[in-house]
Amino acid sequence: MKRCKKNFRKNSSGQLLIVAALAIAILISSTTIYVYELSREINNVESYPINDFILALRQNTKNTVVSSLSNASKGGEKTVLTTNLNALVQAFRSLHGLETCHLTFTALNNSNYDSGIWLSWTSNSSGISSAYTNFTLKVYGMETNIAEEHTVNVTTTVTINGFYTKLGGGEKLVNLTCAVYNEGQPALAENITLFYEDLGSWTLADSSNNLLITDYGNGTYFLSFTISTSSDVVQVSAHVYDLRDVFVQANTTCYEA
Amino acid sequence: MKSRSRGQVRIIEAFLAVLLVFSSFAISANLTITQNTTRHYDLTSVGLQALMKLDSDGSLGEYIDDRDWTALLDTLNLVVPAGVSFNLTVYDEQMQQVNTDVISNGGFSSQETAFVEYVCASRGSVFHCYIVHLYLGVAA
Repeated sequence: MKRCKKNFRKNSSGQLLIVAALAIAILISSTTIYVYELSREINNVESYPINDFILALRQNTKNTVVSSLSNASKGGEKTVLTTNLNALVQAFRSLHGLETCHLTFTALNNSNYDSGIWLSWTSNSSGISSAYTNFTLKVYGMETNIAEEHTVNVTTTVTINGFYTKLGGGEKLVNLTCAVYNEGQPALAENITLFYEDLGSWTLADSSNNLLITDYGNGTYFLSFTISTSSDVVQVSAHVYDLRDVFVQANTTCYEA
Repeated sequence: MKSRSRGQVRIIEAFLAVLLVFSSFAISANLTITQNTTRHYDLTSVGLQALMKLDSDGSLGEYIDDRDWTALLDTLNLVVPAGVSFNLTVYDEQMQQVNTDVISNGGFSSQETAFVEYVCASRGSVFHCYIVHLYLGVAA
């Protein structure tokens, strides 16, 4: 019995060797596959460019809205936003990516916004130039199925307040504080031009009026100039371009301090 | 005779065992080679992020609007990581080449290259939409 057992062990030792080798091979392969899959997953999360693509698309939608607002605020048609966004959508459609990209937009229309553009320059002491559009992006691909919505709101607001003091000889010193905001946050102005109303017509305030502009560097500007007028009130209009080249006009009435 | 043939069988079995173990190594080695394709994505991502960085404040569109290719090349040299070669071409909406100068920091000697296609909407009050083609390669 013992001999028979020994014989069997002797006969099957080669097969055991193969089984053991097979087990080792399976272990090596499965470990390698596991490590490979793990690293591939990390790589996909970190470097698959679809996330960058969506960020780039968002960036471009904002650039297009800024461009359109800049155009509309300088006297362009309000439909420029829709026209420009259609051109952008067409450009994205022509991309040779793996995924199918479907970008749609809706320009805001309500009591303030017309075709996504709102220019409010007539109210006292403030002016607003704004563009507002909703975007929907759908990206379909082999491994991707993304639907995302985002809103682009580009708003430049200018506030202006001031008063005047009599200097004598019919001259008045007008002091003004002007603040510029981009999307509600203080922002710098590229250029500020001041006009005052004299005998029913708007006149440019320049060096002949001792115009002084002090930039506080935080989006707030102090402006002063002198005028000769007999009127009890001084109407002032500030024409402001922000760093995005968006134009805003803000008017204010100055009374004696 | 019986024990000799048994010895030959043992050799064959041992050979099969060795073959099994080595074949698993061979398969594993092949898998790690295919991982290189993910590095291609890395280079694409590097290119996209470089262009997005330039575009974040509207500089990219401004350089193209102004046809300032020297400034564009200088800025790209700053934002593209060292050791990466690039060649950039700008097209308009009708796919007509816009840049008159070569915007590149050298030749491509690497096998590992990537291509990035980027839409650049300029912020100027007159709207322009450009298609930017950026070729990247790992410098040897």
